[in-house]
Amino acid sequence: MIHELRAVWHDTRMIVLCAISGALYAAVLIPFKVVPLIPGVTELRPANAIPIVCSFLFGPAAGWGSAIGNLIGDFFGGVGPGDVFGFAANLVYGYLPYKIWALIGCGQSPVDRSPLGVAKYVMTCFCASILCADIVGWGDSLLGLRPFAVLGNLIVFNNMLASCLLAPFLLAAIYPRVRAGHLLYSDLMVLPSSPCSFARRLAGLVMLVFGGLSAWVLGNLVSAGFWVPGFLPSWASTPPYGAAVGIVVTPFLVIGLVGASWL
Amino acid sequence: MALTASRSLHLGGPPEIEVKEVSFTYRGSTEPALHGISFVQRRGEIVGVVGPSGAGKSTLVKCLNRLVPSFDNGTFAGVVKIAGQTLAEQRVCDVAPLVGMVFQDFESQLFSTNVAHEVAFAMEQCGYSREEMVQRVGAALRAVGLEGFESRDPATLSGGEKQRLAVAAVMALRPRVIVLDEPTTDLDPQGRAEVFALIEQMRLQGATLVLVEHDLEALRVCDRLLVVRDGRIVADLPPSELMARVELLESCRLRPPDLSLLCERLGITPHTQTLEEAERAIRARFRICATACESRLDYDASASSCLPVTRVGQEANKGRQEALIEVRKLTYAYPEGRLALEDIDFAVGSGEFVAIVGRNGSGKSTLAKHLVGILRPTRGQVLLGGRDLSRLTVAEISRHVGFVFQNPDHQIFAATVEEEVAFGPRNFGLKPDEVAERTQRVLAAVGLEKLRFQDPFLLSKGERQRVAVAAALALNPRVLILDEPTTGLDFFEQRRMMELLTELNRGGVAIVIITHTPWLVACYARRVVMMERGRKVFDGPVRQFFASSELLENSAFRLPEVTALSRRLGLVALTVDELVSVLEARS
Amino acid sequence: MPIYLYLDRGTLFHRFHPTVKVFGLFAVFWTVFWLDHPVALAPVGALLLGVAHASRSWANFRRLSWLLLLIVFFTSLVWILFFRVGAPLAKVGPLWVSRASLEFGLGRGLKLAELIATTIIFLSTTKVEEFSYGLRALGVPYRVGFAITLAFRLAPLFIDSALEVVAAQSLRGHEFRRGGPLSRLRRYAPVMIPVFMGALRKANNMAMALEARGFGHSPRPTSFAEYRFTRSDLFALIALSVLASASFLAYYLGWAGIKIR
Repeated sequence: MIHELRAVWHDTRMIVLCAISGALYAAVLIPFKVVPLIPGVTELRPANAIPIVCSFLFGPAAGWGSAIGNLIGDFFGGVGPGDVFGFAANLVYGYLPYKIWALIGCGQSPVDRSPLGVAKYVMTCFCASILCADIVGWGDSLLGLRPFAVLGNLIVFNNMLASCLLAPFLLAAIYPRVRAGHLLYSDLMVLPSSPCSFARRLAGLVMLVFGGLSAWVLGNLVSAGFWVPGFLPSWASTPPYGAAVGIVVTPFLVIGLVGASWL
Repeated sequence: MALTASRSLHLGGPPEIEVKEVSFTYRGSTEPALHGISFVQRRGEIVGVVGPSGAGKSTLVKCLNRLVPSFDNGTFAGVVKIAGQTLAEQRVCDVAPLVGMVFQDFESQLFSTNVAHEVAFAMEQCGYSREEMVQRVGAALRAVGLEGFESRDPATLSGGEKQRLAVAAVMALRPRVIVLDEPTTDLDPQGRAEVFALIEQMRLQGATLVLVEHDLEALRVCDRLLVVRDGRIVADLPPSELMARVELLESCRLRPPDLSLLCERLGITPHTQTLEEAERAIRARFRICATACESRLDYDASASSCLPVTRVGQEANKGRQEALIEVRKLTYAYPEGRLALEDIDFAVGSGEFVAIVGRNGSGKSTLAKHLVGILRPTRGQVLLGGRDLSRLTVAEISRHVGFVFQNPDHQIFAATVEEEVAFGPRNFGLKPDEVAERTQRVLAAVGLEKLRFQDPFLLSKGERQRVAVAAALALNPRVLILDEPTTGLDFFEQRRMMELLTELNRGGVAIVIITHTPWLVACYARRVVMMERGRKVFDGPVRQFFASSELLENSAFRLPEVTALSRRLGLVALTVDELVSVLEARS
Repeated sequence: MPIYLYLDRGTLFHRFHPTVKVFGLFAVFWTVFWLDHPVALAPVGALLLGVAHASRSWANFRRLSWLLLLIVFFTSLVWILFFRVGAPLAKVGPLWVSRASLEFGLGRGLKLAELIATTIIFLSTTKVEEFSYGLRALGVPYRVGFAITLAFRLAPLFIDSALEVVAAQSLRGHEFRRGGPLSRLRRYAPVMIPVFMGALRKANNMAMALEARGFGHSPRPTSFAEYRFTRSDLFALIALSVLASASFLAYYLGWAGIKIR
């Protein structure tokens, strides 16, 4: 994970693509920030489709781009300490799709609409969305800003809707054209060869799914107070359960992130 | 075989650029973009590169700083030397201190959030000390007339200022050669004038420049012009000699300067290069003395038939009929309170062909956006067929008034040209048969039938502009408004676009174009509306507009050469054909 | 469309050294982090209001007031319901509130409002180039800082083109607000595709223009920006350090927490 993310900074075109993905994300995020589902409570953000699309097109540059775009969007409305986690979460959300697809796509195009292709695409987006939600939910819980059970679920919900309902239309229109113009990340940069074998990458995916899902489920249970493990010290066993979320979720989040780095 | 000037190496300096047998084929292409090109440019020489779109001009100049083949993968052969140094295997960034390059798209070459930082950017990359940078930033900004702009955000500058800033940013590094790749294509006349004034100043200071440009009239400043066609240099001549070869220019899809065309038509040799020479030659040829000419060919601005009219589309324009759109006392203020339009009265009748002209920021586009309801008036009214536009939705308005944005890429999204055109009719709930019929008809009207299954993104800019026109026409509007429809197109594409509009106008569609191109107004429009600082300062026939010295002096609108010449002769001719007919009739 | 909050007012807060501004941002975050009780948070809120006034940032507070109110209200409500400790004051089905949950919820709302107010003041007084200078001073590599600055410059351009695309598609009868939320989401495709393709067309030109201007020539580019550290910067650093320490002390002494009764 790290070597590809670092390689972006050695190539002028990838740096530009990184800035462009960031600016695009912010450009859709800011004027079209809200499609309210329940006013004041939850909203749909069409912009959440951009990191997924950029990931398939620009590879690792999209990871940095999403992180920067989210930062710019927050600059428009006011940032907070939680945005450090927002930066990291969006980095993962923009970075993971192309990596997961490289592993499970078996050379298929991400615009392939066969049942298997759709299933793989949905799984790709789900993995990216859940790890993104875990990071923000975990971070904001630790800082005591917003409960994991609220933020974590909203992020998964929003990301999945945008990536499954809007991103496929965008990809279908843009991906073939970019590929025809030899502007995909694989045409533009020489990716450093992965130090991980196929088996290790597969294990990475399993860890990512296991760690990400476990962190999400446990984060929900603990933060809502439905389950407070007995092994927790007394100072962590009382509301608002920020420390409890930290203690319970951290190991699984680490498993998920280590898995992501092996992809 | 290329035509070569006897004086091609007239300047005595040492060779600054040597290009030997350079060929390049883009990846995935079978046809080379450059075929064994060779030329030499001496220090202090200004060389213009001209040719039709896709001829290889940009590819050629990109070889001078290794953008080709570093950025555009493909097969490269040949040698490029700058100041005696062979460029081989160097990175583009290492060539920057030798060759500076200014690009057409000014937005894509400004990276900083303030002017001084923008100029210092290249020096920061090359590791200059802060003291050196401060000194050079000041000098570069002075040279391009942007002193005092240091802390401005480049995004707040006009197009001309942005392009001058891009030149300053290149000049600060003091490269041996500066390449300007179509630096004025996206600018208004004021911006063009600013950039050409700067080029003239650089010429006087002995800079070595390579200038790619479509407008031949503007290239008289060059020492030599290279004509590139199909990846080859087909002529290498001084401007005066090249401009006399009208046939060659037309075969290369270049617009011959009016004076050359006139000399060709009147059989005046050698061709004249300045208005003074042309006036003298014509007066001598037709034995017109100054006073006699003025008394006999004096122009009556109110009589549009005082000259034989041969303009394209003239017969279709029989004057204003019922008002389709009417603007009454329109005032528009931006949210922060600044007035963009003030007390505008304006109407477009059926069958009209109106050109709206004026400097950037004069209110042209703001006015046009009111005509389609994108903007709503702060005060006053816009009426569409007598109905108040504010009571209609944008979608309802668009059934009657079509709008084509300056950048066609701001609306194209579908997978095929046909799908793109059908998008509007489908949105209005037309039945599939009707959608298909309309699409078919409109594609035939704009000449895109053969490209109906093509991906619109892969078409040329001219073709994409036609797709945008087709998409607007598919809604059967009675008025079509086009915001600078010819910007960025070469002469051939510009003429094609205007002929299409003339055809549509003949078919009864009222046309309103916003344009900065004088010859288009002279050749195709029948009525001119001129805007200045949010006010309408002129609204009348084209000929009357070009007859008004005061108006033209206040605007940045440059007269077409033939109109300027005819005015010296005491009349107002809008086209070369007109002037020739009058002179021949007189003789 | 103006999207950034910087206001060119030339106050003392505008003139602070970029590093001091970045330090100030984190110092206030730190200060607010340790405080839970609304009464403990109130003085910091008052201080921020004073700074907002002195830095003449009110215009941005007015512009973002709806967002601030919405976030504070929502955050308070969620925490009031989630902080289920203390003797219930009112109970409706599974939901109940106690004095502690009310104090905690209000405290969280206030905390978030103060964090956002801090960043509004920071952004109202800090230019993008100062921000990137601050990042470099904090050890962020040049190229990363450059990409962030470039994205900041490009975002307004892309927003303008997105708004123009919206106008162009509306003129072709495309309605963005038709249908349910899911169908509305899909209706953004005709806007996002042209914006995306336009950006891609720019990408190659921009990379070429960058290298043609020497980007990458030197591994360690020099800096044109120069900011002087003045005495007022020193005083500001001391004041911020005192504030941050006082907040931690209040937490340590148990003055800033919620008492569960």
